[in-house]
Amino acid sequence: MTGRDGKKGVGLLKGLSITLTSMTRRSITEQYPDVQPELPPRSRGVIALLEENCTSCMLCARECPDWCIYIDSHKEVIPAPEEGGRERTRNVLDRFAIDFSLCMYCGICIEACPFDALFWSPEFEYAEFDIRNMTHEKERLGQWMQTVPPPPALDPSAAESKEVLGVRKKAAAKAPPTEQGDES
Amino acid sequence: MTEERVVSTGDGVVATDMVLNIGPQHPATHGVLRLRLVLDGERIVSAEPVIGYMHRGAEKLFEVRDYRQIIMLANRHDWLSAFSNELGVVLAVERMLGMEVPERAVWARTLLAELNRLLNHLMFLGSYPLEVGAITPVFYAFREREAIQEVMEEISGGRMHFMFNRVGGLKEDLPNGWTNRVRTAMAGVRDRLPQLENLVFGNEIFAARTQGVGVLSKEQVLQYGLSGPIARASGIDMDLRRDEPYLAYGELQDVLRVVTRTEGDCYARFEVLREQVHVSMDLVDACLERLEQLPQGPINQRLPKVLKAPEGYTYAWTENPLGLNGYFLVSHGEKTPHRLKLRSASFNNVQVLGEMLPGQLVADMVSILGSMFFVVGDVDK
Repeated sequence: MTGRDGKKGVGLLKGLSITLTSMTRRSITEQYPDVQPELPPRSRGVIALLEENCTSCMLCARECPDWCIYIDSHKEVIPAPEEGGRERTRNVLDRFAIDFSLCMYCGICIEACPFDALFWSPEFEYAEFDIRNMTHEKERLGQWMQTVPPPPALDPSAAESKEVLGVRKKAAAKAPPTEQGDES
Repeated sequence: MTEERVVSTGDGVVATDMVLNIGPQHPATHGVLRLRLVLDGERIVSAEPVIGYMHRGAEKLFEVRDYRQIIMLANRHDWLSAFSNELGVVLAVERMLGMEVPERAVWARTLLAELNRLLNHLMFLGSYPLEVGAITPVFYAFREREAIQEVMEEISGGRMHFMFNRVGGLKEDLPNGWTNRVRTAMAGVRDRLPQLENLVFGNEIFAARTQGVGVLSKEQVLQYGLSGPIARASGIDMDLRRDEPYLAYGELQDVLRVVTRTEGDCYARFEVLREQVHVSMDLVDACLERLEQLPQGPINQRLPKVLKAPEGYTYAWTENPLGLNGYFLVSHGEKTPHRLKLRSASFNNVQVLGEMLPGQLVADMVSILGSMFFVVGDVDK
């Protein structure tokens, strides 16, 4: 089927017949603004921030390939709860902003975060007329949290996560002594 | 071939040649490639590809990024083969580290690389007829692309820049039921692809514009270091997947066919692309079968917090959809590479235009340019 030595006109007719059959089929067009697309949970649409989990450790801002995360924080001293106790300091987040006009949607910040404060959300409708509005401050990033879907179930042959393995190990370590106890 | 009609300007009144700039903003260059043509009437006297309008300094940027960040950059030079580009980087780093990649990751990577090849080839199967005047095929091609893109998005979260490779494996494991959905998508594409093929192949108008046009000889291919489907269309029987197997290709030799043609014209180049789509679909099916038989296991390695490649150098090349893609990695033992040289397929493939175009008509320029299958981001880096 190289088509180098076909009869004249056959190819054209073949093409037209395909057009005809396609004409009778239903179109696959998705009526986007009226019908929302169904996006998989891993879709990288926008980054959401769970402020409570953030310790302003700056890891995400440092790992970001184009430095589009801005973090300001200050230290606050918590007075000792009782007489003679020790004072504690903790970081308070003043500003957490992601400039989505710079963001390359690589997801390294989310991977780098050791405290699970950042998540992907498939939400994508946040275009702006002014580029300055593409910088989402922590309030707006926090609002995206509501749209974060649970992660998809993994393939049956996937290795168990280290959290599950850890729980298993603990359970296994606890179990043997009780069995021995029963025997004696 | 049919007779050629040449229109010239006046009877030798105008003595100077005309210089015509195609691009940098021209739809046929799909990107910002500029061609400086010197014309005699409608015939091209000389042609010079002027590149660099999209130069982003990727190689220099590599030097100030750690390996995870480099994957993100490597994604972007050839935006139509993002996954294959990532692959070269991680293969190079893994070789430097002497890291063993889990078997499931190897097969999943092979599978994803072939899906990426399908995406790339379907793009050109649609856009090339568009350039020579057939508007319909691109819609058929994009319908198939959508089916594949959906499964790619489901596993990686991205539609273009997958960012799914990591040193030592893949970012995350496959979602439950994903392999079945890939299989369904493949069956669908296989089922509908003849529509696209019958629309273009055998079409007299398409044949007249491409057969015997832009013939590239075997010698030229070798002189200019062309690779990929373009080289194979001129009879160069070379494919790294067979000749220097990486990933799981070594075990897929009975499925893998290297597609070659001898004509070396635009039509042959397009045909190679079409055949390769079929080969890739077979490879995807073989990978799926194998992936489902593999025992439970991890899909990546646990990495140290700061990943440093040991001192030394290595060259990792892969058979990207558009040709050979190589990374020469020199490390001084830091967390960033000392130098990461990128050999991209399109850069070499475009250079031959200066030799191919002279003597051709301006009207044929578009069909020749389109049949070189390049991505300008890959040319300019």
